[in-house]
Amino acid sequence: MSSQSTHDKSQAVYDWSWFRRGVLSFGTLPSLVLTSAFIGFGGLARDAGVSLGQLIFMVPVVWALPSHLILVAGIAADASMLAIALAVSLASLRMLPMVMALVPEVRVPGTKRWHLLMASNLVAITAWVNLMQRSDKIPPRGRLPYFVGFALSVMVMSTLAAALVHQLAGSFPPYFMAFLTFLTPLYFATSLWNASRYSVERLALVCGFWLLPAARFVAPDFAILLAGIGAGLFSFGVYLLRGPR
Amino acid sequence: MSIFSFDTWWWPYLFITLACAIPTGMWRWVGVLAIGDISEGSRWLVLVRCIATGLVAAVIGQIIFAPTGALAMLPLWARAGSMVFGFTVFLTLRRNMALGILSGQIALAVAWFVLVGV
Repeated sequence: MSSQSTHDKSQAVYDWSWFRRGVLSFGTLPSLVLTSAFIGFGGLARDAGVSLGQLIFMVPVVWALPSHLILVAGIAADASMLAIALAVSLASLRMLPMVMALVPEVRVPGTKRWHLLMASNLVAITAWVNLMQRSDKIPPRGRLPYFVGFALSVMVMSTLAAALVHQLAGSFPPYFMAFLTFLTPLYFATSLWNASRYSVERLALVCGFWLLPAARFVAPDFAILLAGIGAGLFSFGVYLLRGPR
Repeated sequence: MSIFSFDTWWWPYLFITLACAIPTGMWRWVGVLAIGDISEGSRWLVLVRCIATGLVAAVIGQIIFAPTGALAMLPLWARAGSMVFGFTVFLTLRRNMALGILSGQIALAVAWFVLVGV
């Protein structure tokens, strides 16, 4: 909880032994979840006419599966750069509150803004959820190294998985793909529930999920933003009305 | 301008950067700059956490209520039912993630083999 542990000025800012632990968490559930999502993406990119080199480039530099999906759909439809950029920036708005929630978890005395700017490029849902869920069990100075190590290792694995599927021209049986896809919602929901610090976060989780079909009915193109921000504001309202619990 | 506009090797890479990498990454950088010195215990941080959680929950909802690919071969009630079942097991068994995820997958497998077949 306390991050005021700078009794010794010569002490390093971060505890990099946690970097290795972050890297070694590949093979755990969250990295399995993300890698499996990119297995499906590799086939999709191939079908859209994306070359292997372009695929290996786009997975790490974008590092957000919803943005990847919009890009590949745009490439398949020969869409204009501006149209893709607009759709991607709307879909990526979620990065803003995610990064804002992450920074106080990983920031310690001595953290420079450029450290955070660099690390923020690794923020995507899976690594974010993983850090938010585990940060209580990691000493503050180990959190940024852990996050960077974890995110880099899943990034490498996801890129390899996508590239491999791109090269293997075949496809997987539908049941296997359904199983892989279903891992993602189950993992996000259970780990976010465990990551919550305030009961209203759990309220936001339940509301965001059940609001989505209603939001799709109102504005299908903006359903995620509408349901997500709506659920967040409603839960915060409840927090203001009854105080922290 | 589309990805096929220029016949040079580097154009697709520049296109990917401008059309996708920067529009995604800019929100991350704005997030770092916007959080400033807001710290633990601030009520604004509660708001930020609620919105971030709500947005991820909506992404979960999208996968269940409007899936693409193989998951769409199952009817809505089977997808939502498997999700609710897995999550209920998770809550009941002292928030054990592995058991919750396993139960959800078992429910999905049963639904798949009954409704879709092998």
